[in-house]
Amino acid sequence: MWAILPIVGLLIGLVIGGFISIEVPAAYVKYFSIAILAALDSVFGGIRSTMEDRFDSTKMISGFFVNALAAALLAYLGDRLAIDLYMAAVFAFGVRLFDNIARIRHLLIDKWRNRS
Amino acid sequence: MKQSYFYLGGICLITGLLFALQFLSPAGLLQSNPVSQRMVNLTTTINNLETEIAAQQDYIESTRNELNQLDNQANIEKLQLMQQELKEAQIHAGLTSVAGPGVIITVDDNHSGQKANPDDDPQHYIIHFEHILSIVDELKTAGAEAITVNGQRLITTSEIRCVGNVILVNTTRIAPPFEIHAIGSPSLMINMVNYGELAVLRSSNYPVHVEESDELILPAYKGDLQFQYAKLGGL
Repeated sequence: MWAILPIVGLLIGLVIGGFISIEVPAAYVKYFSIAILAALDSVFGGIRSTMEDRFDSTKMISGFFVNALAAALLAYLGDRLAIDLYMAAVFAFGVRLFDNIARIRHLLIDKWRNRS
Repeated sequence: MKQSYFYLGGICLITGLLFALQFLSPAGLLQSNPVSQRMVNLTTTINNLETEIAAQQDYIESTRNELNQLDNQANIEKLQLMQQELKEAQIHAGLTSVAGPGVIITVDDNHSGQKANPDDDPQHYIIHFEHILSIVDELKTAGAEAITVNGQRLITTSEIRCVGNVILVNTTRIAPPFEIHAIGSPSLMINMVNYGELAVLRSSNYPVHVEESDELILPAYKGDLQFQYAKLGGL
């Protein structure tokens, strides 16, 4: 029953974002995409830890903010140094994302098999 | 377990918000790639131009439809009426030569008077633009329908003005003797000027000649006709 909350939250976020017409300046698009990646990483990490029954709200929330900030900082530093450092963040988040998705998939398959 | 969904919901809300902002902002489309940015610019330009072309084509089409409608009307009666109106307007505007009864007024500098008094200021013996202006004004008051001064047809924008030692009418220099032709009621006009400016000139011994004519032909205004500021409107 409560499992529907994340989806509801996502929809509410989309609606709010759709209605407040703030345009992201072109210069910050890069940082924004990093923030989205960090958020996605936290979401999948949270789902996974919930399924593994070792969810820690403090760890997840702090992870979200610290990861997003660190990634943005890295991207900024990369811009200053003319190195695409934000790629490191994209790479790290991407790997973790796929890792989490794989774990979730495995857990779901296991759960389904145990039930039947 | 329940609590974790709340937190997940909160994070999901933020994620959704970020997604929506990124997707909806036009900057999200360009990325930071200058090439793709240029592509987007070009695409925007092309789209704008295409919209403009479509609008222009619509305009052409509507104009053509209008033209067709007018052609199909074939209302010759109306056309003749409009041409009649146009002719009348041209006569009123002084853009056609006109003929009719009227008067010829000739005034000249007072040469004999100046010769008799060589020490006097010659200013007192020449015709000034004010004299011509007064005569023209009196002719208009008497209902003159068309007036020329030394062959220059007077229209609404015509000036009579001295510049230095010459008089300009329709920006053309004119010199004495001044011959003013006017079409209208001859008797009315002659009475008007005889008791007006001509009386003043005669009292100063200027050579003045007034002649009635049954058939005067006044030329059309030949100068430039460009209205820069006055636009059709008000009705």
